[in-house]
Amino acid sequence: MSESTMVRVRGLSKIYERGGEQLKVLSGLDLDLAEGTFEALMGPSGSGKSTLLNIIAGLDRPSSGTVEVKGEDISRLSESALATWRSRTLGFIFQSYNLMPVLTALENVELPLLLTKLGGAERKKRAEIALRIVGLEQRMDHYPRQLSGGQEQRVAIARAIVNDPAIIVADEPTGDLDRQSADDILTLLEKLAKDMNKTILMVTHDPVAADRATKVHRLDKGALSS
Amino acid sequence: MIPFRYNLRSILARKATTAATAFGIALVVFVLASALMLSAGIKKTLGASGRADNAIVMRTGSDAELNSSFDTTSVGLVLAAPGVKRDDKGAPIGVGEVVLVLALEKLGDPGITNVFLRGVPETALAFRPSARVVSGRAPRPGSDEVLVGKRLRGRFKGFEVGQSFELRKNRSVSVVGILEDEGSSYESEVWADVDTVRTGLGREGLVSSVRARLESPAKFDAFKASVESDKNLGFEVTRETTFLEKQSEGVSIFVTALGSVIAFFFSIGAMIGAMITMYGSIASRQREIGTLRALGFPRWQILVAFLLECSVLSLFGGALGAAAAIAMRFVSFSMINFTSWSEIVFTFEPTPAILLMSLMFALAMGVFGGLLPAIRAARVSPIQAMR
Ligand SMILES: Nc1ncnc2c1ncn2[C@@H]1O[C@H](COP(=O)(O)OP(=O)(O)OP(=O)(O)O)[C@@H](O)[C@H]1O
Ligand SMILES: [Mg+2]
Repeated sequence: MSESTMVRVRGLSKIYERGGEQLKVLSGLDLDLAEGTFEALMGPSGSGKSTLLNIIAGLDRPSSGTVEVKGEDISRLSESALATWRSRTLGFIFQSYNLMPVLTALENVELPLLLTKLGGAERKKRAEIALRIVGLEQRMDHYPRQLSGGQEQRVAIARAIVNDPAIIVADEPTGDLDRQSADDILTLLEKLAKDMNKTILMVTHDPVAADRATKVHRLDKGALSS
Repeated sequence: MIPFRYNLRSILARKATTAATAFGIALVVFVLASALMLSAGIKKTLGASGRADNAIVMRTGSDAELNSSFDTTSVGLVLAAPGVKRDDKGAPIGVGEVVLVLALEKLGDPGITNVFLRGVPETALAFRPSARVVSGRAPRPGSDEVLVGKRLRGRFKGFEVGQSFELRKNRSVSVVGILEDEGSSYESEVWADVDTVRTGLGREGLVSSVRARLESPAKFDAFKASVESDKNLGFEVTRETTFLEKQSEGVSIFVTALGSVIAFFFSIGAMIGAMITMYGSIASRQREIGTLRALGFPRWQILVAFLLECSVLSLFGGALGAAAAIAMRFVSFSMINFTSWSEIVFTFEPTPAILLMSLMFALAMGVFGGLLPAIRAARVSPIQAMR
C-alpha cells in the first residue's frame, strides 16, 4: 500500500453570510488524507464537519484556501468540470441513503455508470459485481422500499464504488442504523480501504464508529486536532 | 443520460396528481380535436359529392343553388355546349334540377326546421354513381314518390319508408326509399320528381341549376367559355368541386376558429396545471435531484429529464383526450347551413393528421408548462443531497 497523499487541504476557510452577519465555520485549516486509508471526522454539532466534507467532495466551494486531489486544485474547476470530476473521482454515501425510490437496487447502482461511455451489458455486469461485493446480489430487483435501512445503505455503497472512485465520502453513514447494521457497514468500509485501496473520509458522531477508522480527526471551532 | 424510466416511474408513482394534470390536458386536446374533426366532417359532407369532371351552371351572382333560377328551355342549350360527355345513344349527360327548402315539423322536439328539397329528373341517380337507394326502392318517374336522405331519416314526421308527408297543404308525397351517398350533403336532402316539385310548389318552367358531366376535367375551361359567352343568358359555370368547397368553407372555418379559441384559453389553464404539478413534484424531490447532481449529472441533463417528464405527462393526457374525441365519431351533429338555412347533419371525422396535431399540441403544452419547473430542477444544488 502506498503512502502517497490523496487529498491535501491547505489554509481552508469557509465563511457563510447570513443577513449581513458573517459566520466563520472553517478558519484556515490543513488536512491530509493518505491513499487507501479510512479516516473519521468527529466534532460537535454545527462545528462544520459536513461543510468540510462537502468542500473536499467538490459539492461546495471554499471561501479561501486550496483543496488538491491527486495534485489537482479542484477549487479552480468550473461548475460542469467539477460535476464530471465528481463522477470519476468520488463515491458518495449519505446518512439517509438517497436511493431513487422508483429505481431497483440494480438500477440505482447503475446510475453513475450512465455518465460513462460503457454499454448496457457492461454497465449491468459492473453493477452486479458491486452488489455482490456488498452481499446483495439476491436483492438486485428489489426497490428501496422493499429493503431494510442497512440493506439500503449497502446498495448506496455499491453505487458509491461502482465507478471505481479513488475517494469515498460518507456523512454519518451509520446515523440512521441500528448497532448490527452499522457494524456491517463499517466492516464494509474497512474492507474497501484495505482491499480496494479506497481513501475514505467518514463524518460521524459515534465513537464506536470512529474507532474502526485508521485515523480520527477532530474538528472544533473551525480548526482540526488529531 | 438519466434513464427515462426514472421519470416515467416518478409520474406513475404519483397517481392522483398525474391523473388530475393529465385530465386537464385531455380536456383541451378533446376540445381541439373535436373541433378539427367536426370541421373535417363538414368539409367531407359538403365536399364529398363533388367531381372534377362535373360542371355546375347557375344564374350569375348566385352563390347557392337555392338563389339561382332560370328557364327550363336553357337546360338543352347548356348541355349542347362543347365538352359535355354523351351516352351510348348520343344524348348529353347532365341534370337540370330545382332546389327549394321545405319548413317541416321535427320529430321529438317541437318546432319547424328547413329541409332541402331537390326536384330531380329520372336520370339523377344514374348521374351520381355514388348515390344509391339503401332501403325501399327508387321512385317511379313523374309520381308523388320521394327519397329521403339517410341522415334525415326519422328526424321529421313521415320520414320513414312507407310513410308520407305534405309538400304543402293538401299536397302529400310518399316516401319509398332512403338515399345514401357516402356521407355527402345529399344525405341531408329530400329528392322528389322535378315536375312534382314544379307543379306542387309553383315553379313551373324553372330550374335552379344544371350539372353537366364533362368528357374530362380538362374540358372545363372550354365548356365554361362557351356557356358564359352569351351574356344575355347570364350563366356562371363553376367546377362542382370548387362550388362545394366554397359552400363548406365558411362553416368549417367558423368551427375551426371557435374550437381553436376555446382550446387556446383552456390550454393556458392546463399548462398552469402542469406547471404546478411539476413544481410540486420537483419540490418534494429536492434531495433526489441533489443526489443526481452530486453523482455528477450535469444541469442540462436534469433539465432535459424534467422537460421529458412533463412532456410524457402531457402526452398521457393528450392521448386520453384524442381517444375521447375519436369516440365522438359515433355522435352526429345537426347544424343550420348558413347559405340555405336548412338543416344539415354532420359527423366528426377523425383523420390521422388531426390526431397527430392534437398530440403535438399536448406535447407543446408539456414543454411550455414544464420549462420553468425544469429550470428550477436544473438549479438544485448538489448540496441538497446532504440535507
Ligand atoms: N448554506 C449555509 N448558509 C449559512 N450557514 C450555513 C450553511 N450551511 C451550514 N451553515 C452553518 O455552518 C455551520 C456548520 O454546519 P455543518 O452542517 O457543517 O455542521 P456539522 O458539523 O455537519 O453539524 P451536524 O453534526 O449537526 O451535522 C452551522 O452553524 C450551520 O448552521
Ligand atoms: Mg453534518
